[in-house]
Amino acid sequence: MKKLRQQFADTMLELGTQDPRLVVLVGDISHGILQPFAKACPDRYYNIGICEPSIVNVAAGLNKVGLIPVVHTIAPFITERAYEQIKLDFGYQMLSTSIVSVGGAFDYVQLGCSHHCYADVSLLCHLKRGVVILPGSPIEFAKLFKETYANGLINYFRLPEKPHGVEISSDDIQFSRGIRIREGRDVTIAVIGTQLATALAAADQLAAQGVSAEVLYFHTIKPFDADLLRASVTKTRRFVTVEELSAHDGLYNLCLRACVGLNNVSAAQIAIEDFVHGYGTYEELCARIGMSPEGIRQTSLALTRKAA
Amino acid sequence: MNNNLRLRIAEMVKRSGEGHIPSSYSIVDLLDHLYGKVLRVRPQEPKWQGRDFFILSKGHGCGALYAVLAKYGFLQEKDLLDYGTSKGILGGHPDMTTVPGIEASTGSLGHGFPTAVGVALGLRIQRRNNRVFALLGDGECHEGTIWESANIAANLQLGNLCAIVDWNGSAAQLMPVDDLPAKWKAFGWEVRIIDGHSAQEMAECFAGILFAARDKPKVVIAKTIKGKGVSFAEGHGKWHHRVPTDAEMEAIRLELS
Repeated sequence: MKKLRQQFADTMLELGTQDPRLVVLVGDISHGILQPFAKACPDRYYNIGICEPSIVNVAAGLNKVGLIPVVHTIAPFITERAYEQIKLDFGYQMLSTSIVSVGGAFDYVQLGCSHHCYADVSLLCHLKRGVVILPGSPIEFAKLFKETYANGLINYFRLPEKPHGVEISSDDIQFSRGIRIREGRDVTIAVIGTQLATALAAADQLAAQGVSAEVLYFHTIKPFDADLLRASVTKTRRFVTVEELSAHDGLYNLCLRACVGLNNVSAAQIAIEDFVHGYGTYEELCARIGMSPEGIRQTSLALTRKAA
Repeated sequence: MNNNLRLRIAEMVKRSGEGHIPSSYSIVDLLDHLYGKVLRVRPQEPKWQGRDFFILSKGHGCGALYAVLAKYGFLQEKDLLDYGTSKGILGGHPDMTTVPGIEASTGSLGHGFPTAVGVALGLRIQRRNNRVFALLGDGECHEGTIWESANIAANLQLGNLCAIVDWNGSAAQLMPVDDLPAKWKAFGWEVRIIDGHSAQEMAECFAGILFAARDKPKVVIAKTIKGKGVSFAEGHGKWHHRVPTDAEMEAIRLELS
């Protein structure tokens, strides 16, 4: 499957040649793969430098005169460091941009915790005009970006290094709508991003033990498809969230809010509590915090036994 | 010296109980000159496509900007009277979403100037001839984004951009950024130094400034006096965010009469 970042570059080229308002600003990453766009639209591509807060401000200035800025760099630097710029210069000022990050959660595992980012999604969700999209495959990014980039809002796209690898038809990818990937009756597994594949593997293991898991996949976090989650939990009465996000404000919170008023619901969360120290592979860090088929299986099983 | 504007600023602060009088007094002569003689703007058509953009990056000096916007017809008398009240549109920092003529909502320092850099870049992309002005505080020059953006503007050769630094000595109270002109020059900007209260020096400086050295952004470093015009409010200290008492207000009126 094509990398999300390559799809980003391809989409910029495709849209940039059609829409003269599109301007791409990067913070010294993806410079190579964006060269086709840079050559096709030379006055609308800027490798601004390593100064993320100011990149966001420059984007605000561009939007102020009617251009549509796309800002691209590494997640912690463009969201956590530059959050006040996003909040004030786009939120307060009612301006619009699309921020496209890579390196969310611990995708840059080998670079250490300085390059981890757990709170980006939460931060962007705090903005009333924020739209938060976590595409897990190239087709999701291409379709959802084209649908949203000119919507006049503050769009955040977190691109995972590793696509989930699950084939999803284009018709099933609708902005703000979750997708029921697998039907089940005993427990709902709500998942985002790369972890879709992990959740499906866990569902296979649970099935072997006689537990029927329903897997819901959310590429759009804000707005959130609360109806889909609520309908599923109305049936299963149990849900587990699997999210490469801060445990303190993310998918679990959205699911709990979606279930307000439902009785006899039990829930569990597999997320990121604090810095995940250590190096190695992405999969090794995932496993350390229970974000593995075995971890999801155990958490789901515990819920089904507890409710029983 | 614009005593009438200064009096209106003090009256706004006195009425509402909020405002930065000395920070407004150091820039009010500059703003009056810009809006009266430099900026291409249409007060009755604030979003006119051909306008020059002015961004007050040191947003806490907005009392001066409001008074000047009213003088030139962007705002009504009623707007000044309602300053700082729930029925008004003017508050303690500029809000572009509500105030005609305000191009950027500022307040948190280090935001307006970088946004001005983006506006200047955008205008160049669109091949428009509008010019961009941003007024910064020297204390604001403590912020890292000022220097990030100074670097960006010089690197992008934004000749349509003019920064004005209100060099009133605030920065030196905490962490001097002197020699300020040398710093801007080192960042690749064309630097001019003027007396920010001298009509003659302002006129000489701004006449045609953007037509020289077109590939370089310009900075006018304006030597000013914080609180200029009211002797007991001049300088640094308790008057920074002080609301005058009745007696002090009377003394202000006397000095400005």
